[in-house]
Amino acid sequence: MNSRAISRLGDVFSYVFMMMMFVFFAGPLFWLLSLALRTKREIYLGVSRLIPKYPTIDNFISVLTNNFFPTYLWNGLLLAVLSGVGVLIVALPAAYAFSRFNFRGKSAWMMGLLAFQMISPLVIMVPLYRYFSWLGLLDTHFGAIMVYIALGVPLAAWLLKGTVDSIPRSLDEAAMIDGCSRFAVFWRIVLPLSGPGVASVFIITVIAGWSQFLVPFLLLTKTKLMPIGVGIFQFQGMQNDSSMQLLAAACLISVVPAIIAFLLLQRMILGAMTAGAVKG
Amino acid sequence: MDVPGNGFRARFNRRYAGAPLPWMLPVIVVIGLFYLYPVFDVIRLSFTDATLIGNEHTYTFASIIHAFGSPDLAGILLTTLIFVGGSIVGQQLLGLMIALIVIRGEKRRLFGTTILRTTALVAWVVPGIAGGIVWQMLFSEAPFGGLNSLLRMIHLHPVEWLSDPNIAPWSVVISNVWRGTAFSMVVMYAGLKSIDPTLYEAAEVDGASATQRLRFITLPQLRTVILVNMILITIQTMNTFDSIISLTGGGPGRATEVISLYTFNIVFRNYDLSGGVSSRC
Repeated sequence: MNSRAISRLGDVFSYVFMMMMFVFFAGPLFWLLSLALRTKREIYLGVSRLIPKYPTIDNFISVLTNNFFPTYLWNGLLLAVLSGVGVLIVALPAAYAFSRFNFRGKSAWMMGLLAFQMISPLVIMVPLYRYFSWLGLLDTHFGAIMVYIALGVPLAAWLLKGTVDSIPRSLDEAAMIDGCSRFAVFWRIVLPLSGPGVASVFIITVIAGWSQFLVPFLLLTKTKLMPIGVGIFQFQGMQNDSSMQLLAAACLISVVPAIIAFLLLQRMILGAMTAGAVKG
Repeated sequence: MDVPGNGFRARFNRRYAGAPLPWMLPVIVVIGLFYLYPVFDVIRLSFTDATLIGNEHTYTFASIIHAFGSPDLAGILLTTLIFVGGSIVGQQLLGLMIALIVIRGEKRRLFGTTILRTTALVAWVVPGIAGGIVWQMLFSEAPFGGLNSLLRMIHLHPVEWLSDPNIAPWSVVISNVWRGTAFSMVVMYAGLKSIDPTLYEAAEVDGASATQRLRFITLPQLRTVILVNMILITIQTMNTFDSIISLTGGGPGRATEVISLYTFNIVFRNYDLSGGVSSRC
């Protein structure tokens, strides 16, 4: 009886803590939504109009018909999706090699990849800019995408190695005994069986690409090439206190695609991440 | 499928597909060509500078002393320390607590564990710049500032979240904890799940209380996870500047200018790179 009462009390505390955490994490986004739905007048009424009396979608329409904003969104999508595809093309064969081959220095290679990931573009901004200028790849989407891919590959290779590890080796061996080449094994057996891992790595890369700020800010200067991560920053600079509802709407538009992409595959992404984490 | 033979494809397969190198080639080419080359260039340049001319060395040394002696740097390092330290403590603590509660909730079938986990993760996928804007709308002292209008409604004094140089760094920490906690939560959750359940059963038999179980089983078992997580968070936080740039821009004064933002500013001001300066006006 006594221990049951303690459990009950624990449940109450759990609920209180969960409520507090929910407010902390969801509150800011609700506030953003609340501001984005308001008219200019209601912006000045603060929390008393948490649910706007005269909700309007004019702000969204105004942002989406802005001269630049649709371009920003399109560029953001293009860069994020193409870099997601590119990361898979580059990282999948490496993940297969890490999983199926035993070669000298394999763990050194894998640690090297991880270490590489820790070099932030922030540290090499100037040489990166000069180098891309020398390559003639400044102000091209191709250049930016290649840097996105280079930055995304290490994590992707690690996560995909976990996925390939979980496919039984005996399948490969059976196919090879039947005369299948390694490329065919990769293409016809490993690839189709790593669906969930591939999907979550793709989404993780796309979300990371969608949030990129520094790389495009550094390598792209023309407004018509800018992705949303930079675009929203430029947009913020153009607004003032009396157009907060527009900024809120723009911000919401830039956030929602990432959230939706994540929610669609949440379970798979968490699975891929924790599988890698547990195995270390 | 391919029968071993003398066709080009078969020969190609036999010779190359069995070795790891061809499989690694795309990674090597992409990373080497588009990212690593400039890194090595930096290292090479720094070596040539130091050895080509004898005087360079003293110059470099003097400039380092100069940089350390500059009055800006001390403040920036302190701000960085607050930002990184606050984020590490806040994110690990909240992440661990949420993970513990989620696991407890799953065991006792409490309502809302999935909702809480998902909400935290949603905050995590918000892009940095957007996250800064979101928190600016909460911290702002203008009428649309969420927190202050809440305080005013319950007749409390509004707080100068972003304009008091003593408070602003902590506001930035809060916004970063909001965005970063989910990562720690996932790591801690995985770590907690991998603790051998028999340890808890044994402790239960021995009559250990919940606090004792936390102190003598959970925390020691999590030690590696916490350490690895701490390293990862430190690196992430050291490189974070996008959410600060859109939240405070480094202000008031330079109260929230962390080292990454300082680097960013120096490069974009001094080199006038990529028209960063012109396009921002």
